[in-house]
Amino acid sequence: MIDAVQLAQNLVNGFGLGLIYGLIGIGFCVIYNASGIVNFAQGVFVMLGGMVCHTLLSRLGLPISAAAVLTIPVVAVIGILMEILIVRPMWNRGASTFAIILATLATQMLIEQITLLTLGDQPRTYDSFTAGGPLKLGGVAISYQLFWVLGFGTLMVAGLWLFFTRSRMGRALRACSQNAEAAALLGIPVKRMLLASFALSAALGAIAGILVTPSQITAYNVGTPYGVNGFIAAIIGGFGSASGAVAGGLLLGILQAFAIVAFGAGFKNVAALTVLLIVLLVFPNGIFAGVKSLWARRT
Amino acid sequence: MTSPDIISTKAPGLAWARILPAVLGLGVLVYAFTSNGYVVTVVGFAAIYGLLCTGLNFFMGFTGQASFGQNAFAALGSYGSAILCTDYNVEPVLALVMTMVFSGLVALVVGYPTLRLRGHYLAMATFALGLITYEISVEWTDLTQGYMGYSGIPPLSLGPFQAQTDKQQLAVILVVLALGVLAAVRLRGSRFGRACRAIAGSEAAAGALGIPVARYKLISFVIAAVYASAAGSLFAHFVGFISPEVFGTTMVVQSFTMLYLGGIGTIAGPLIGAVVVSVLPELMRGLKDYQNIGYLVLLLAILIYAPKGVVGLLDSLSGKWRR
Repeated sequence: MIDAVQLAQNLVNGFGLGLIYGLIGIGFCVIYNASGIVNFAQGVFVMLGGMVCHTLLSRLGLPISAAAVLTIPVVAVIGILMEILIVRPMWNRGASTFAIILATLATQMLIEQITLLTLGDQPRTYDSFTAGGPLKLGGVAISYQLFWVLGFGTLMVAGLWLFFTRSRMGRALRACSQNAEAAALLGIPVKRMLLASFALSAALGAIAGILVTPSQITAYNVGTPYGVNGFIAAIIGGFGSASGAVAGGLLLGILQAFAIVAFGAGFKNVAALTVLLIVLLVFPNGIFAGVKSLWARRT
Repeated sequence: MTSPDIISTKAPGLAWARILPAVLGLGVLVYAFTSNGYVVTVVGFAAIYGLLCTGLNFFMGFTGQASFGQNAFAALGSYGSAILCTDYNVEPVLALVMTMVFSGLVALVVGYPTLRLRGHYLAMATFALGLITYEISVEWTDLTQGYMGYSGIPPLSLGPFQAQTDKQQLAVILVVLALGVLAAVRLRGSRFGRACRAIAGSEAAAGALGIPVARYKLISFVIAAVYASAAGSLFAHFVGFISPEVFGTTMVVQSFTMLYLGGIGTIAGPLIGAVVVSVLPELMRGLKDYQNIGYLVLLLAILIYAPKGVVGLLDSLSGKWRR
C-alpha cells in the first residue's frame, strides 16, 4: 500500500522541485515573450548555475553568498553571448522556427561538451546554504534548503512581477511580446530587448541551478531534464505567463511526487512527459486557460 | 527557407553539380568494398543514417513539418528486431517488416493528435516522444535489458542466404537504402508528394485547393517513422548490439545535422549529409576530445550561414556555371 509518510515526504520534495521548474519555466517565457523563440538550451543555464557556483566554491574557496552573487552575472554573460553569436544572425536571416530550435539544442550540447572538457564528468554538489537540519515533522524530513528555495522563489516571482508591471524595461519587454513592430514604432529598441531577455532568462536559470544543487546533484548533463521540466511547467501555465509557469511548475512537482510513489523514481520523467503531451493535446493554451474556457462554455 | 520551389515547371537538368554527388557516392562505395572492415563499418553507418534521413526528409523537407522524435521509431525498430530475432527466432527480414508495420501503426496513433500542433509545440511534443521512448528503454529492463543493452542479435539473413561478412551486410543495407530512396523519388513526384510540398508552401492555400492537409501530414509522418524503424532494424543487425544510449538526443541532432548539411528537401541531400557527417568524425579523430565540439560548431555554422546545405551550394554554383 502507499505509505502516507513516504507520500508526504515526496510531496514536500516535489513542491521544492516544482518551484525550481517554475523558475526555469519563467526563463522560457521571458525569451518567448520578447521574440517568439523557444530556447531549448534553457536547461543549460541551470546546469551552468550549479557548476559555476560549485567551481567558485571549491577552487577559489569563496563563501556561498559571494559565489552565488558572482555566478549569476557569469551565466547571464553566457546567455548574452548565445544571443549575439547564434540567435541574432539566424534571426536576421529570417531562419525558420525549427532551424532556430535546432540551433539552440545544438548550443546546449556544445556548452555541455565544453563543460565536460573543462570541469570533468564527475557529478558534484555542495552544502546547503545553512548548516543543520533537516527539520523533522512527524516522519517527514524537510531540509533547510527547501526554505531557501521557497524564500528565494517567492522573492523572485514577486520581483519579476514588479519588473514586468512597474519598470520601463519590463513594460518594454511586454510591449515587444504583444506587437514587435508597434513597439519598434514607439521607439523601443526591439533587438536590445531580445538581448536583455536572454540575459534575464540565463540569470533566472542560474539562480534555479544555484538553489537546486545542494538538494540534487549537478553534472554537465543535467540540463536536459531541467529544461524539459521547465518547459512543461511553462506549457501547463499557458506559454508566456510567469505566474502560470510557477503554478504549472508546482503542479508538475506534485504530480511527479505521486508518480514516484506509484511507479518508482525511474518513471518520474516519463510521467512528466506524458503530462506534457496530454496538456499540449487537450489544453494547448495551458490548463488554467483551458479550464476557464471549459467553464465559460458550460455556463 | 525549407519551402521547395513548388511552382518550378522545368525538369531538373543534369548539370555537373548534380552528377558530382553521384560520382562521389560511387567512389565511396568502391572504396568501401575494396577496403578493410573499419571503412565498411563507417560506410554502413552512413547508409543506415541515410535511410533514416531520407524518411525524416520526407516529413521535414517535403511536408515542411518537424519531428524531433525520430529516435523513438528507430528505437522501436531496433528493439523490435532484436527481441523478435533473438528471443523468438523470427526471420530477420520478416522481423524487419513486422517492426516497420508496428512503427507505422504507432506513428499513426501518436501522430493523429500530435500533428495538430504547430511550430515549437510540435517540436517539443515530438521531442517528448523521443525522450519517453528513451526513458522506457532504460527503465523497462524486463523487455529491453536497460543499460546492459541487447546483445547477440544475428546478422541479416533471408532463407538459406545469410549475410555473414561485413561486406555482405553492407550490400544488403545498400539494397534497402536504394529501395528507400527509389520510393522517396517516386513519392516525391506523385500527386501525394506534390500535395505535401504544397502544404510546406502554405497550409491554408493547400487546404483551399482541396488537399486534405491533416491526413497528408499524418501519412508523411508515418512514412518517416517506417523509414526510421527500418534504419533501426538494420542497425541492430549490422552491429549485433544495441543499448538505450544509441537512441538518445544525440541521434536527433546528428540526423538533423545530416539533413541540413546535405540540403533539406532534396533527394540527394540526406544521403550527402549522411556520408559527410559519418566520415567527418573519422577525419577529425586527431581532434580527439574536441571532436564533438568541432562537429557542433560545424552544425551551427551551417544553420546560420548555409541553411540550404551542400545541395543548395552546388545548385547555386552550377547555376553560375551555366550563366
